[in-house]
Order: sequence, then C-alpha cells, then structure tokens
Amino acid sequence: MPLGRLLLRTSTVNKMISRNSFVASKPDPSKPNMLRVGLAFGSTAFLWALLFKQHSTDVHEYKTRNGLQ
Amino acid sequence: MGLLPDEAKVLPPPGIVNRNSVWFGLCGWATAMLHNSLNRRPALKAGVHRQALFITVGWFIGYHLTKYENYKYATLDRDMNEYIRLHPNEFPEKERKTFAEIVEPFHPIR
Repeated sequence: MPLGRLLLRTSTVNKMISRNSFVASKPDPSKPNMLRVGLAFGSTAFLWALLFKQHSTDVHEYKTRNGLQ
Repeated sequence: MGLLPDEAKVLPPPGIVNRNSVWFGLCGWATAMLHNSLNRRPALKAGVHRQALFITVGWFIGYHLTKYENYKYATLDRDMNEYIRLHPNEFPEKERKTFAEIVEPFHPIR
C-alpha cells in the first residue's frame, strides 16, 4: 500500500501534529489543558528541587575539600 | 557539574539568589509576558504556569552560569598570580610617598 494511503488516517488519529481546517479549533482560555498546566508546574517544582539539591551538594563539597567541616 | 572539571569544586558555590539567576529569571518572566501579549491575553494574569516555568528555567541556567563564571575568573586569577610569582623582576616594588612629602607646605593668609 503506498505511504500516502497510510498517512490519510493521521488527521483523525493524531490531532496535535496535523491541524487542518476540519479539526482545528481556536485555543479556549476558559478550558485550560490541565495536563499541560500540571506538567508545567510539575517541572517547575522538579527544577527548584534539583537546584536546591545541587546547591547543598556544592556547599558540602566545598566544606569537605577546604577542611572546614 | 557537566562542563566544569573536578577542581572547580574547591571554589565556594554561589548563593541561590545571585546576579545571573535574577537576571535570567526576569528575562524568562519577560518572555512569558511577551508571549501572553502577542497572543492577546492579559500579560500578568494569564498563563501563570508558563511564567513560573520560564522564571525557573532562567533561574536554573543563571545559577550554573554563575558557577562557570566563578571558575573561569578563578583560573585567570591563578594563572596571573603564578606568572607574577615566576617573573618577579617584571613587578618591582614601587617606592611609596606619603602626601606629606608630595604636597607643598601650607601658609595660611587670613
């Protein structure tokens, strides 16, 4: 089967990559995409935790290497 | 540390709040607000998750950039001091004069 025939299905199955005028819609601010919001806040919290952990590791390394503690 | 060698751990780490972090965080916030205004949304009240994420990414990059900057300056200082130590004839001690020796005597005319 030619590849074009296989790709015809994508517009119904994969709405994120292929937006044509039959399935596209204006982004609606009253209905937030909670998955994306959750991911954004989750990665924010993750990055802050990573930063604080890296900082405390650095402080500990500095103290041990200079014999302060 | 990805880009920093092991010897960089001898240096004191920058604080969580440091110049580069604050600047990059503010730049991230400005980017998020610009994104809001270009999509005709209220600049401050819309997309708070996006603003938080951009500020955090900026802050994170700023912290690591400060660490890298500290290391680079420390290596430059070390090389400079090592050069000064190895070439003492190029850095003679300059004779210092006090102001009393340079300034002319003061005769008040009142």
